[in-house]
Amino acid sequence: MTFTPEVPPAAPDSHPGVAGTTTAFTVNGTPRSVAADTRVTLLDALRDLLALTGTKKGCDQGACGACTVHVDGRRVLACLTLLAQCEGREVTTIEGLSRDGRPHPMQEAFVRHDGFQCGYCTPGQIMSAVALLREDRARTDKDIREFMSGNLCRCAAYPNIVAAIRDVAQRGGVDADL
Amino acid sequence: MSTARELPVVGPALDRVDGPAKTAGQARYPSDFDAPGQAHGALVQSTIAAGRITGIDTSAAEAAPGVLAVFTHLNVPPLPRGPMTGLGVSPPAPLRDDRILHHGQHVALVVAETREQATAAARLVRVGYASVEPVLDLDDPRATTVDDPWGLDSERGDVEAGLAASAVRVEATYTTPDNTNNPLGLFSTLAAWDGDRLTVHDATQWPSMVRETLAHVFGVPETSVRVLSPYLGGGFGAGLRAWPHVILAVHAARELRRPVKLVLTRPQMFTSVGHRPKGVQHVRLGASADGRLLAIEHRGRSLLAAEDDDYEPFAAGSAVAYACPNVLTRDQQVRANVPAPVSMRAPAHAQGGFALESAMDELAQALELDPLELRLRNVADVHPALGLPWTSNALRECYAVGAERFGWSRRPARPRSQRDGHWLVGQAMAGVSYPWYQAPSLARATVTADGHAVVGGSGMDIGTGTYTVLTQLSARLLGLPPERVRLELGDSDLPKAPQAGGSGLTGALGSAVHDACTKLLDAFLDLVRDDPASPLRGSAPEDVLAADGGIRRRDDADRSETYDAILARHGRRELSADGSSTPARPAELGMAPAGAFGAHFVEVKVDEDLGLVRVSRLTTVIDGGRILNEKTARSQIIGGAIGGIGMALFEDTITDPVSGRIANATFGDYLVPVHADIPAMDVTFVGEPDRASPLGTKGVGEVGLVGVAAAIANAVHHATGIRVRSLPITLDALL
Repeated sequence: MTFTPEVPPAAPDSHPGVAGTTTAFTVNGTPRSVAADTRVTLLDALRDLLALTGTKKGCDQGACGACTVHVDGRRVLACLTLLAQCEGREVTTIEGLSRDGRPHPMQEAFVRHDGFQCGYCTPGQIMSAVALLREDRARTDKDIREFMSGNLCRCAAYPNIVAAIRDVAQRGGVDADL
Repeated sequence: MSTARELPVVGPALDRVDGPAKTAGQARYPSDFDAPGQAHGALVQSTIAAGRITGIDTSAAEAAPGVLAVFTHLNVPPLPRGPMTGLGVSPPAPLRDDRILHHGQHVALVVAETREQATAAARLVRVGYASVEPVLDLDDPRATTVDDPWGLDSERGDVEAGLAASAVRVEATYTTPDNTNNPLGLFSTLAAWDGDRLTVHDATQWPSMVRETLAHVFGVPETSVRVLSPYLGGGFGAGLRAWPHVILAVHAARELRRPVKLVLTRPQMFTSVGHRPKGVQHVRLGASADGRLLAIEHRGRSLLAAEDDDYEPFAAGSAVAYACPNVLTRDQQVRANVPAPVSMRAPAHAQGGFALESAMDELAQALELDPLELRLRNVADVHPALGLPWTSNALRECYAVGAERFGWSRRPARPRSQRDGHWLVGQAMAGVSYPWYQAPSLARATVTADGHAVVGGSGMDIGTGTYTVLTQLSARLLGLPPERVRLELGDSDLPKAPQAGGSGLTGALGSAVHDACTKLLDAFLDLVRDDPASPLRGSAPEDVLAADGGIRRRDDADRSETYDAILARHGRRELSADGSSTPARPAELGMAPAGAFGAHFVEVKVDEDLGLVRVSRLTTVIDGGRILNEKTARSQIIGGAIGGIGMALFEDTITDPVSGRIANATFGDYLVPVHADIPAMDVTFVGEPDRASPLGTKGVGEVGLVGVAAAIANAVHHATGIRVRSLPITLDALL
């Protein structure tokens, strides 16, 4: 699950007094070019510069999973990824999961199984869960629990999250049409 | 009239009405809001636990790129402490003076154009300290103590005589560590002034309290302050106070004349927004040979901040948990150089329940009596202190149903008698009697010309399902489909409702919504009282019920009219009614208002060689009175119980005994339960609607947690023969 894209060359300053860079990448299918301080993480860029606040910050230390997004189809912690590392990459966030205006089957399953309470970890849980199916790691409840353990839920909706993922897996996984 | 009494005991499992927004990333939490022209704050915190600031050099920070201001005690005028709230005093004002009372105390706020600039500049603030040895320990002889802090110490009968008369006695000391609430959402405040008007997006469980506090501190009318918290990334009690960082953000925004956003870091969440305080409890129990309790003595001591208060009566619950003629409870707090504690899900009862229900297990063992049978022989069928019947009590049913579902009868009595490969297996249980709590509430219900309803109050949905259950309730009372009801919550401009806390919001706000909806139907009947065009004219409230988007006669289904038709004919765009609720009074009821009851049955497996503990099964049965939504209520119990698993096996905020610094203030080091720690869970609701309110609910936000730690400790004993009286239960205790 380690993701280490190459760091692109520095671009002209975008903030007074600190080094800046411009990053061109794709977010939810739309090409974006973002000029920012080189210290800006993918997480802060999504939330602060692209107004995609569905991706959440729970620790900013890579320990809670709330900021999980997909980069080139793999789950990645956006708080541990610098924006500048995403040059040329395809990023998918919770806002980009729906298809033709319809929620992703995993989003629907989370609602049906009450796989959340406060909802703050939910975008990260769902992004992890969707990747889990792609990784073929949702064959048993034990596997689901093991490979979802990087996503903390302090409200502790865990049994319901497992039920939601199991439900989607049994209905055909990522291709499920619910 | 449609009333709550016609609702089912366990309500339909409607999916959460805010589910689509939350799963799409569209629900907006406090940190998701920005204001035009906002600046960003970053806190500087003390690196000593006690002493004084001898100097602060802010010159490098002030010269750093983008920095707008650095606030310290040298340039912030004395701000008044917030007012007394319904849950006690407000925290001390920030940056009052040069004194340091705990490690991690805020000593400066840096505000800059961007988050990165503020964070970088905060590292450039140089603070000189004169340190003194901090008080960090419960037994430090220098510590000042507070006896009976809440007036809840109790005594009935004669405990010494009861113990003397007992055939069997047990006595033990139990310790619980600091736990940190750690809601996943980082607490944040976005403060924007427009002249004397202040708008704040704050991570609070109690918008009306934050409004009152900010109005008081900043000297503006309450009507000039609006506090918003429509969604919150958890709180578990951490959002029950207007913390110093909130005051600082608002102050900075006023000084800089631009909006300021301040988001705490995860390490700052350990020192800035409370925690469940560590404590020691001493319990003595005595019983007759046939297992009747003759004496309960429970003494608790917990840590408290140097100049703040916290509600944490560990022992108080033991006064009413069992039928017992001789009871003594004593609580004491010990002031120390620690960050302020706060209620953390099931305050006091989380810790008190661990001690009492562990001691009950030890008593059962001493009596050679089944632990469930011991509980059953001591159920308090009337309120033990008041002598009044309960407004509801299905504790016996909790025990019976739980035992059946868990398969309790197959449990061998002897500890360390079951094995599954290299795992030792044990089963145990614990009971819960959670206290009743309710605060006054207001609410408003409106039906608009398009036949939709808007219902709300300033209380908020912390994730318990308030939006959903009040939508269901309002829809039922107004005869509307749920999709035509919109709930408005988490906004201090709405009618004043209490905090999301104390398992009391559903009862308080729900009862107020019930009242508002009832009065709204009355208002519609008033409108058509003399209306010759209305088939309902002359109808009294008892003649009608709400159905199909309007009102119809009970005696003639054809005499009905929709809300939109009534409003249209009378040229009204909408009709509103205000409702209220007040807490029940035992004297008026002739009954003792009951909180929720419950029973937990747990199986653990302990690795014989490694001491690893795994919870393999958990059956919980809860009497929560009327359950408005089976799905969201079940989630509350699951979440509470897993909080109990965390308390039992993982959670431990470790403070360095010399420096007073929290040594594990990250999610990498402070362990909370993860997916892999949690087995399948079995939750069942039993009981009847409670008689203390028309709604009949009792609140289920906390009861699921209480007793779980004891049940696990008892199961570890049953598996291994080792009694662990100190949480969390880590492998070193079992090797």
